[in-house]
Amino acid sequence: MALDAVSKDVSMPLPSEGNAGGLARPLLLTPGQDLKGYMLGHLGRAVLLAITCVSVVAVLLMFVFIIGKARHFFIVSDVVGSLSRVREFLTSTQWYPEAEHAEFGALALIVGSFYVTTVALVLAVPVGLLAAMFLSDIAPFGVRSFFKPVIEMLAAIPSVAYGFFAVLVVAPWLQDTFGFATGVNVWNAGLLLAVMAVPTIISVAEDALSAVGRERREASYGLGATRAETLLKVVMPAARSGIVAAVLLGMMRAIGETMVVWMAAGMAGQIPTPWWDLSQSVRPITATIAQEMGETPQGSPHFYSLFALGLLLLLVTFVLNLVSEHFLSRVRGGGVR
Amino acid sequence: MSLRLRLRGLWNKGFTGLSVLAVVLLGAALLIVLAPMLYRGFQAVVFVETVEFRKMEFWELDRGDEEALQAEVAAIQAAREPVYALLDRFSRGIDVERQIDQARDVYRRYGEKLRAEQTPREAYTEKRARAKALRDALTDAYETADATAAREHLQVVLSQADEPWVRDTMLREYVQMARDYGEVIATIDLGRRQEYAQALDEVKAALRKLLGPRPREEVPALAEDRYGATRWDLVQRDVEHFLYDEQWVQEQPGEPLVRKWVPRTDPAQFGGTALEPLFGMVETHLEEMLRPRWRFYWQYFIDGSTPGHFFGGVGPEVLGTLLLTLCAMLFAVPLGIVSAAYLVECGGDHRMVRIIRTCINTLAGVPSIVFGLFGLAFFVLIVGRPCVLAASLTLGLLVLPVIIRASEEAIRAVPETYKEASLALGAGRFRTFVRVILPAALPGILTGIILSVSRAAGETAPILFTGAVFYGDVPRSLFGQTPALSYGSYGIATGDRIGMEMPHQQYGMVMTLILLVLLLNLAAIAIRHRVQKRLRG
Repeated sequence: MALDAVSKDVSMPLPSEGNAGGLARPLLLTPGQDLKGYMLGHLGRAVLLAITCVSVVAVLLMFVFIIGKARHFFIVSDVVGSLSRVREFLTSTQWYPEAEHAEFGALALIVGSFYVTTVALVLAVPVGLLAAMFLSDIAPFGVRSFFKPVIEMLAAIPSVAYGFFAVLVVAPWLQDTFGFATGVNVWNAGLLLAVMAVPTIISVAEDALSAVGRERREASYGLGATRAETLLKVVMPAARSGIVAAVLLGMMRAIGETMVVWMAAGMAGQIPTPWWDLSQSVRPITATIAQEMGETPQGSPHFYSLFALGLLLLLVTFVLNLVSEHFLSRVRGGGVR
Repeated sequence: MSLRLRLRGLWNKGFTGLSVLAVVLLGAALLIVLAPMLYRGFQAVVFVETVEFRKMEFWELDRGDEEALQAEVAAIQAAREPVYALLDRFSRGIDVERQIDQARDVYRRYGEKLRAEQTPREAYTEKRARAKALRDALTDAYETADATAAREHLQVVLSQADEPWVRDTMLREYVQMARDYGEVIATIDLGRRQEYAQALDEVKAALRKLLGPRPREEVPALAEDRYGATRWDLVQRDVEHFLYDEQWVQEQPGEPLVRKWVPRTDPAQFGGTALEPLFGMVETHLEEMLRPRWRFYWQYFIDGSTPGHFFGGVGPEVLGTLLLTLCAMLFAVPLGIVSAAYLVECGGDHRMVRIIRTCINTLAGVPSIVFGLFGLAFFVLIVGRPCVLAASLTLGLLVLPVIIRASEEAIRAVPETYKEASLALGAGRFRTFVRVILPAALPGILTGIILSVSRAAGETAPILFTGAVFYGDVPRSLFGQTPALSYGSYGIATGDRIGMEMPHQQYGMVMTLILLVLLLNLAAIAIRHRVQKRLRG
């Protein structure tokens, strides 16, 4: 502790500074100096802690303010009314917030988010995992250091640029090639979201695969397994927590993405019928918020209903985050370093 | 047994092939996404400009040499004059309403002049009567749909051409009009006058789009109508619409309409009429009339633009993005580095630190649109209105976890021996951190900062409600709203009109954004590469 206390203001002279050879200050501290240093050290720590807690405060404020606004939507005059509000929100597909008898059924929006996320994951997970295995086990160093920046670039391209690409390049292509009624649909948004989620999946999964270690791989090779067998039957199961976390993080990226789905999903508040018809337009939650927040007056029920949608998103990603963190902490061998 | 071995080998090879395929697919995806946007975006910067572009640049952006431009405009005016003259002569035959008005006007002015000269009463009546006969003959010629009858009426006028009371007064205008009209009706079918009138309007509109408004016309209110085709690629497109008529025809009943391009020189259009030479004339003299020239328009990145981004560059957007990012960084970088320092140097594994870490991870996982909502509900509430300050605080919060994680990693990567050596020399922990660890970790921290700058520059959702506008100037204070590249890209991608008219402006904006982000990322990768080399020794 005493050594710790030296930190703040009473420092030892460095050989390079001061009068050569002689000491600038006495080595031995008086009890007063010692105490002062101790106090200062703790004070400094407290200040640092306070600054670090900005993140905590931000998260708290975020919950407080978004719940605060969403509350006006969910809580109406009486309990029965509030309950029916919640039920309508979660089970009705009628989203007509500006109608005379406004309806706030968010089911179609939730399902829309679900559709594009699912398509994105179905496309991104196999590609991401294969690429992660390639980068961690198969690729020689040169190839690896070529592809790492490529994947970083994919992650770096702004989402609005992906959206731009979806609207102006992918949509006409889909329409012409497959004869879809509209080019902005689940396929388009899912495809672009997959491209955006892949880098996240790769980077987390690759860390998890590397964390498995040489010993297991060598043991497996030593038993005569091929590389494919080693990867699929030994390394993958050992890294499964990390892989689950990778998929979850990729999913969070896809759920929370706004610009691409806003521009590419078509903004039609419906559940595709028949359910497998992915060439129809949907209207995910994030896109709804982005679209409607600009047009609605502050303080209207519509305004608060958008905060309710935001709260839903916040809760979903919060839970996903906690779960993925749980899996990630298993990768690191329990607890943070 | 050996079959099984071979199968296993095959599966192994197949698996390797699959994984290679996955990575190649990603590389291809990057190429497919970037190539069209960058290629078409560069066309906003490097292209063949026409004189209309130079006019636009001078009038809207206040740049260019006035004298040279005047000389050039005079030259192109001379080249365009025959085109306009031909068009006017022909439209005189078609637009009879105006011709009749003009004939009446001449008659009225003639009468006024006579009165002004105080002509004696009898002479006045006689002159008026003669003029009226001419006017009526001309009007009849205009009104009839029968070419022979029209020619007879015209002959009445022309036969008087050499009479002194016609030749030496303003009534000679009637002769000129009769001659012009005679020329026109020699080539057109008067029964199709209505059709011609409609087609002529189309031709005029197409020519206006190609060459801009005519010299003495008043300046249109909308900037996008003030100039003709400013680029050679637009010239090609517009000249197509000028030379061909786009028609949708149903070839067989029940089948969808098919698009056909009918040349305007077709007999069904203007073939055989006095207007026919116009099209060949425009086509062959296109270069004299528009003077194409290669241009490297680097000012695209600093120029302002006319409303709706029809002309000009993305200067305000670039500045706005930089402003937003800079403010966000001023907020997030100090916080991020201090937080990282605390987590590495002081944080053990007690509960507080775990909570902090969870919160940082949560913050990193919150969707960007929720940041936008929070910015609206909190920062905008505090400041009072959407503005740069609120938007950049929101962005700062968004990149805070990125900076914390990157800094933490960089600080941890500094070899323990540095710290031990410093402590052993008697430096305190604070001094050790500031003088030894931080400098060693700085390149890594810088990498993280650059990456978060690129992230902040590209984010759209958080600034949607907190301070971004689609079109405008960079605000003078932090309390104004600003245009930004990201929001601008959204707006311009969903604008229908600009997509049809000026696609290069759309791609130019997104190209600028991508270029900015990619350059930042390349810088980060380069710095990291050097750091890794140094740390390896």
